[in-house]
Amino acid sequence: MDSLSQPPSKRPLSSSATDFREVSLASPPAADDEGERSKMFFHIVLERNMQLHPRHFGPHLRDKLVSKLIKDVEGTCSGRHGFVVAITGVEDVGKGLIREGTGYVTFPVKYQCVVFRPFKGEILEAVVTMVNKMGFFAEAGPVQIFVSNHLIPDDMEFQSGDVPNYTTSDGSVKIQKESEVRLKIIGTRVDATEIFCIGTIKDDFLGVISDPGAAV
Amino acid sequence: MARRGRDDDDDEVEEEEDEEEAYDLYDDEEEDEEDDYEEEARRGKASRGKGGGGGGGRKRSREDNFIDDSAIEDDDEDDDDDGGGARPKKKGGGGVRGFFDEEAQVDEDEEEEDDGEGEDDFINDAGADIPDEDAVRGSRRHSIPMRDEEEDIDEIERQVRERYARSSHIEYGEEAAEVEQQALLPSVKDPKLWMVKCAIGHERETAICLMQKFIDRSDLQIKSVVALDHLKNYIYVEAEKEAHVKEACKGLRNIYASAKITLVPIKEMADVLSVESKSVDLSRDSWVRMKLGIYKGDLAKVVDVDNVRQRVDVKLIPRIDLQALASKLEGREVVKKKAFVPPPRFFNIDEAREMHIRVERRRDKESGEYFEWVDNLKFKDGFLYKSVSTKSIHTNNIQPTFDELEKFRKPGDDMNGDMASLSTLFANRKKGHFMKGDAVIVIKGDLKNLEGWVEKVEDETVHIRPKISDLPKTLAFNEKELCKYFKPGDHVKVISGVQEGATGMVVKVEGHVLIILSDTTKEHIRVFADHVVESSEITTGITRIGDYELHDLVLLDNLSFGVIIRVETEAFQVLKGVPDRPEVVLVKLREIKNKIDRRTSAKDRSNNIISAKDVVRVVEGASRGKQGPVEHIHKGILFIYDRHHLEHAGFICAKAQSCLLVGGSNGGRQGNGMDSADARLGALRSPASILQSPGRLPPRGPQMNYGGRYGGGRGGRGYDALVGKCIKIKSGPYKGYRGRVKEVTGALVRVELDSLMKIVTVKRDDIADTPTVATPFREPRYSLGGETPMHPSRTPHHAYQTPMRDPGATPIHDGMRTPMRSRAWAPMSPPRDNWEDGNPATWSSSPAYQPGTPPARPYEAPTPGSGWANTPGVSFNDAPTPRENYANAPSPYVPSTPVGQPMTPNSASYLPGTPGGQPMTPGNVGMDIMSPIIGGEGEATWLLPDVLVNVLRGGDDGPGVVREVLGDGSCRVALGSSGNGDMVTVLPTELEVIRPKKSDRIKILNGNFRGYTGKLIGIDGSDGIVKLDDTYEVKILDMVILAKLAT
Repeated sequence: MDSLSQPPSKRPLSSSATDFREVSLASPPAADDEGERSKMFFHIVLERNMQLHPRHFGPHLRDKLVSKLIKDVEGTCSGRHGFVVAITGVEDVGKGLIREGTGYVTFPVKYQCVVFRPFKGEILEAVVTMVNKMGFFAEAGPVQIFVSNHLIPDDMEFQSGDVPNYTTSDGSVKIQKESEVRLKIIGTRVDATEIFCIGTIKDDFLGVISDPGAAV
Repeated sequence: MARRGRDDDDDEVEEEEDEEEAYDLYDDEEEDEEDDYEEEARRGKASRGKGGGGGGGRKRSREDNFIDDSAIEDDDEDDDDDGGGARPKKKGGGGVRGFFDEEAQVDEDEEEEDDGEGEDDFINDAGADIPDEDAVRGSRRHSIPMRDEEEDIDEIERQVRERYARSSHIEYGEEAAEVEQQALLPSVKDPKLWMVKCAIGHERETAICLMQKFIDRSDLQIKSVVALDHLKNYIYVEAEKEAHVKEACKGLRNIYASAKITLVPIKEMADVLSVESKSVDLSRDSWVRMKLGIYKGDLAKVVDVDNVRQRVDVKLIPRIDLQALASKLEGREVVKKKAFVPPPRFFNIDEAREMHIRVERRRDKESGEYFEWVDNLKFKDGFLYKSVSTKSIHTNNIQPTFDELEKFRKPGDDMNGDMASLSTLFANRKKGHFMKGDAVIVIKGDLKNLEGWVEKVEDETVHIRPKISDLPKTLAFNEKELCKYFKPGDHVKVISGVQEGATGMVVKVEGHVLIILSDTTKEHIRVFADHVVESSEITTGITRIGDYELHDLVLLDNLSFGVIIRVETEAFQVLKGVPDRPEVVLVKLREIKNKIDRRTSAKDRSNNIISAKDVVRVVEGASRGKQGPVEHIHKGILFIYDRHHLEHAGFICAKAQSCLLVGGSNGGRQGNGMDSADARLGALRSPASILQSPGRLPPRGPQMNYGGRYGGGRGGRGYDALVGKCIKIKSGPYKGYRGRVKEVTGALVRVELDSLMKIVTVKRDDIADTPTVATPFREPRYSLGGETPMHPSRTPHHAYQTPMRDPGATPIHDGMRTPMRSRAWAPMSPPRDNWEDGNPATWSSSPAYQPGTPPARPYEAPTPGSGWANTPGVSFNDAPTPRENYANAPSPYVPSTPVGQPMTPNSASYLPGTPGGQPMTPGNVGMDIMSPIIGGEGEATWLLPDVLVNVLRGGDDGPGVVREVLGDGSCRVALGSSGNGDMVTVLPTELEVIRPKKSDRIKILNGNFRGYTGKLIGIDGSDGIVKLDDTYEVKILDMVILAKLAT
């Protein structure tokens, strides 16, 4: 199903791409210009209204609230902030308001979290998930990135077959499923539940960084 | 206008001069050919009168020229002769010469030419036409070089000088001032212009005839004749008086004697002769389409434009049948196959040489480029270069498709370098093409490749803010100098062209072509930058056609089914429900039968129940390992949506048996098929129990039957409010039919037709709701008795309509019951409120009113007997109208008897103990049979034992005889037409009553003769004439309620 429903914590982001480059309390800034240091992880404070069933009312109310929050929020994606990778703390739980009729109580909860939001021009590392003649798809954590064959160096050609791949004419470099590639994001499409990027490996220092075939 | 034309000529002249010199430099090698041309030209001229081939052709072309010129140039010539004076048009000229300067001159030339030499005047024009006709190309310019073998350069120079000295073009080198122009305008003193009607299509001919007449007869007093190309049916004649015009027109074949001659007002005279300059701006490299010939519709690129001669050199992809060409060149007879148009293909010299076609390589005189010549066709780089008339090409609104452009693009050709070719594309831009904030790039002029953003748009001028900071804040550009500019990664939406509506991200920019990765299909789309706008919207383009939407499960024509995975402009791509291998078909709208919208479930490998939205994993087959939520289930086939599956819009088709449910079933709560069926049954039963519960109905035998049938009859229908309603189909093939809604699925409605005994599917839009409420809903109403009188008062309408149309099913019972009910109501109509209160006192007193209140039952009056004939009381059978019915009634209570019967719940409760309530008993026998019908709108309810049926169940297909009708509506059927086969229990829906033919033994399935047997003695349309066995009565009954009896 949707990979987003799985909390990213359970699915380690690929290798060094997950380095915390920067943790800032600010909201994600507008897309960085190319060349600047890229920031894709942000430590921000978000707020959410949590509805809690009356049965949870009791001494562990706060714990329940937090666990519900984690369950609800982690791994989700909002177009504005990106993927919520982890909740690092709860800043404030406001006064609860009992909903008429249902008995549910709504608490405004402020929480700190780490979000992952890729921007245009950023470079990240990703694992190839699928190769076809139009290019290949790679995933960097929850983000799916498509690298079109127009954005693959011209000397790499598509080889169909059992394991479809892109190979240079001399066969020294090969991109196939499970390859790790370093790529640059050139476009993002953000909708309510998903971030989709297109990337390029047609630039200096981009391309395959580890080849499953070579490792064996 | 005339003046402009003059200027052109001027330019032309200069050009000629220039080129002449140029030609001299490299003309040597072509001398031979030109010799030939020249020879031919002369020969042609010499033999002109004899109608030689070349001469004939030339003559035609000359004529064309001549006529073209006759209007405008004629004028010019006059002006020339007379200088720029105050419009002394023709005044001095007079005679033939004045009338047709050019013609006269040409004639002179002709003679001179024949003599071998002489003044070289307009004859050049004529001469130039020869190669044109003969050799496809050639131009006025060539005529000069042609000469230079005979006469030395000095001679030519002299000639040319002489020629231009003679013609008074020079005078017009400068623009005449506005005032002078004004002075040229016609005044009252000038001859007038008359519009004369002539035969349509013969305008030119008429003008020529008039000319001839003028030449022949010197007494004609007309000054000039003008035939305009764009004006059909009329010519203009210039003359002082109308009488002169009449005189001139007299006896002309193409001008009717009665033709009206109208004066053109002085003000409009100038307009008549002004030439509307066409704004067609044909420039090099623009795209055009051919209008005629085998290249009709083909895209061509303009390589050269000759505005004067209205000819255009275009470059096309040749459609040449080399074989035919070879045969032709060898002089063999070529069988012309009209239907065959060779496909466009680049011309390959080697290929041609192989077929022994002589390919010459020659330099073009004009451009100095080399072309390959084959049989007068000119090729270069595989393209055919052709000179065509501007009239034979379409220049407006050319939208070259991508493929076409690709073909024209030679490898190595950069789209960017091809900038000008985009000009045609730009011409088709919609208004408001650029909007503030658009990123644009300059594509023409000094600032080419300057990027910027649109700041302001004023008509054709676009102000942009350049990206480079040193430049002024805004720069103004013509719209055509700009092109939209996108960067890879931009999210765009296609707003025109084939891919209109699609959105995606720009992957690559190739000049003005963008490669976009579509959001939905994850495929590459190539579009022009001009056709897209930046947008954050995500769409697939169109997502629905008609009633079908993307991702719908549909039933196809051939009973296969599939999921719509892509909607194209006029068709759907459907992933068929064939497991193991994905099969995608392109289907048209009409090939889709309907949408499958049923909520079904299937069992997975380990017999878990899968319903829609459950997540399953495919464990075997081609798509093993895929996992995703189930979108559709049909016939044990699952359509799974896997986000990671990129083909077929993410849909995978797999057998339910080869999948495993992952996690719990979402659909569990909704219950599986069984559960829901139960729930439905429960829901269906409840009204039945309501019927019984009030205890108003005397607990009698048929009740069980009743309830059971009711349940059986209405199994598994949709729950739409429309269901069960009586509707009329207002359009479509079933227009005019009435019926009852059985089921509503999306925009489709299944309707049981009243008259055809069949269920049809119609569009929801096609039905009109009649104000009646159908039986199933009335059921509880009856039982509840005192309801709002509105409904009953409405029902009669329905009741009286339906029996006529459909004595088959329930309506009969309506017809039978409701009138009576209304009869019961009718007397009360004034004090209806009382009735609503259920006041028995009023009611009991009512019988007194009954006979006397016919006006209160206005709807009863027009009723035909059918409804009444059905009344259970035998005594009423013959009563054609209610009134008589009443008249016959011996006691006030009697009429209430039938009332009581059908309405048992009501009447029984309201008239407890009254004689009116009790006397039901006699009629009850009939009622017992009838009562099941109350609940039965289903087709199965009226089955009776011994009826011959068709079993429509898989495996048991064939005829059978109903032996027993079970409580739940299903039947025990003995297979075989004589009923000697196996006994099977069949659902009523799987049975079809066999319609009797004439003289068959029948059983009446419905109506108040239900159960009676008889013989069909005749068929009249949809009615059958039946002779009852018991009474030997002859009845006319609807065929629908007759069933063939087993013999």
